[in-house]
Amino acid sequence: MKITYNSEIVAGFLFTVIAVVLFLLVPSQIHTLETTEINAQTVPRIALGGLGIFSFLLFLQGVFLLPKKTLVFNEALYATRDFRDAIRSTVYIAIMIVYVVLFSLLGFIAANVYLIFTVLLYYRSTKKSHYIVAFSVSAIVYLVFTVGLNISLP
Amino acid sequence: MDLFLAGLDILFSWQILVAIPLGLILGIVVGAIPGLTSDLGIILCIPLTYTMEPTVAIVTLLAIYVGGTYGGAITAILINTPGTSANAATLFDGYPMTQKGEAFKALTMALFASTVAGIIGAFVLLFAAPPIAKVTLMFGPAEYLALAVFGLSVIAGVSNDNILKGLMGACIGIFVSTIGLDVISGAVRFTFDNTQLRRGIDLIIALIGLFAISEILMKSKYDPRIDRKVIDPAAITRCKVTAQEYKRCRKPIALGTLIGVIIGATPGTGGGLAGFISYNQTKQLSKHPETFGKGEIEGIAASESANNGACGATMIPMLTLGVPGDGATAILMGAFMVHGLVPGPMLFKEQGNILYAIMLGLVVVNVCLWFAGKFFTRFYAHITRIPFELLACIVLAFCTAGAYSTNNSMYDVYYIFIFGILAYYLRRLNFQLVPILLGIVLGPLAEMNFRRALMLSDGSLSIFVTRPISLAFLLVAFASVVVFTIKGSAEKKANRSSR
Repeated sequence: MKITYNSEIVAGFLFTVIAVVLFLLVPSQIHTLETTEINAQTVPRIALGGLGIFSFLLFLQGVFLLPKKTLVFNEALYATRDFRDAIRSTVYIAIMIVYVVLFSLLGFIAANVYLIFTVLLYYRSTKKSHYIVAFSVSAIVYLVFTVGLNISLP
Repeated sequence: MDLFLAGLDILFSWQILVAIPLGLILGIVVGAIPGLTSDLGIILCIPLTYTMEPTVAIVTLLAIYVGGTYGGAITAILINTPGTSANAATLFDGYPMTQKGEAFKALTMALFASTVAGIIGAFVLLFAAPPIAKVTLMFGPAEYLALAVFGLSVIAGVSNDNILKGLMGACIGIFVSTIGLDVISGAVRFTFDNTQLRRGIDLIIALIGLFAISEILMKSKYDPRIDRKVIDPAAITRCKVTAQEYKRCRKPIALGTLIGVIIGATPGTGGGLAGFISYNQTKQLSKHPETFGKGEIEGIAASESANNGACGATMIPMLTLGVPGDGATAILMGAFMVHGLVPGPMLFKEQGNILYAIMLGLVVVNVCLWFAGKFFTRFYAHITRIPFELLACIVLAFCTAGAYSTNNSMYDVYYIFIFGILAYYLRRLNFQLVPILLGIVLGPLAEMNFRRALMLSDGSLSIFVTRPISLAFLLVAFASVVVFTIKGSAEKKANRSSR
């Protein structure tokens, strides 16, 4: 399978859909008692309408005016640096999502222990000094906020 | 005069005199670390300033801003990687000087040019801002809306890839700014029945997510085995700048400062553009332009004086009009608001003493920059050896602690990662983030004044074109979008034909 695309086509299409959906949600998401024509719904409609128009124009620009790249889905694709980078960034985002969940469930210290191990392993760091420094700085950050600034962290 | 003296009185408190050197050192360190920028340093330090007095907090953040702008020159010179976008033009001659064994000389000239220009830029802010603020007291809602539109039009200047993407970014930012309770009618907007969203999205939360988290995610492709750049400490010799070289650099510094101040005072530009223009002009006016790009000390003087000269000048539109001059001042504007100071002409009227203290503080910051840089330059080189993988953990810890501390709410932590992941994908699609930031900052100003103006005119849009100042801003906004669009199209055509 082969697809031709550029960032304008992708962004234009995605944001046109998002803008249309959100525009249609305006009446249900913004209940106002104002009776004037200009009210609480006006500026969101302008922003979403503008987003829809500009993104559609971007889509058209990408389709008709700008060069495109070709992506061929075959075995060779999976060996390319771009594919590996896409997988790596997805893993990185997953690491962060788990970090946020642990932050809410277990608190700052436990979540940061997880974060330090996973991020340093992600970058293939095996130096003990990196782990020691990272743990120390996290502890300092915790103390600065809780003791120094009197802000409680989970 | 009374406000000036009151400002001096506030400025010379022990907290500020301690905060300035600490802020400078932190700023230089942050600016000198590849992967961090002064913008990120400011964002990360804003939560630390919550318990400070407003003047102390803002002067500390300004010190980080100024220090970071100089600190970026250290990596530009030593490892051919600008620490911030403002230092990009310093690469051209900075790294070649390092290769010739003159790194210390390059760093010294960068510091000297930054200090001189920074002091002049701070004085320009001190003397130009108050009269401009007096003029803006005549503004009504129509003028403020036109001003917000003008501020958003500078998107054209920062959307160097595609004006449509910039406009989309602005629309996204304006939409995000409408989430929560409507200030005028009290209507709840796009909260999806989530009570936490009623207070809207905090500007600081949006900043941390858009800039800090997305920057960490952009480094997901970083491979320490291939991408790490290491400086040879032997490259930092004791080779000093001679009296002859200081004399040669007088004109580049003067020209760079002038360009930095003019460009900096124009919204939507900033130190990066000032640095490039100053470098180009200095090269064209030089008697020996062929030496530029091969380790010419005048090149460093030109770019560094412009980017630091712009630091003070970019504050002029922010303080007087409430329109940020560039991304960094948009972030600083958020810091002002966090501390109860709303930038704009009313700030001069209601809290003039605090404002004068801040502007005078910027002068002191730039004077202290010389000492902070002079004594610690040879140590800063080692900062660039901090591995990014270590930095990522530290920055993420700061981000989550800072986000949580804003409102003691886990939802803010969720939001920074939501914004960060969205911003990461937007950057992968070649979107700039500054238009989104401008939309979030200027959206509320635009909406409130749009609706107020229409209430005053009984719904007639003619109010925006019959008032001369409003019409002038709208025409300038329109012209800037047209000019940048034409210029961008011409550059694209030229690039295509050269291929």
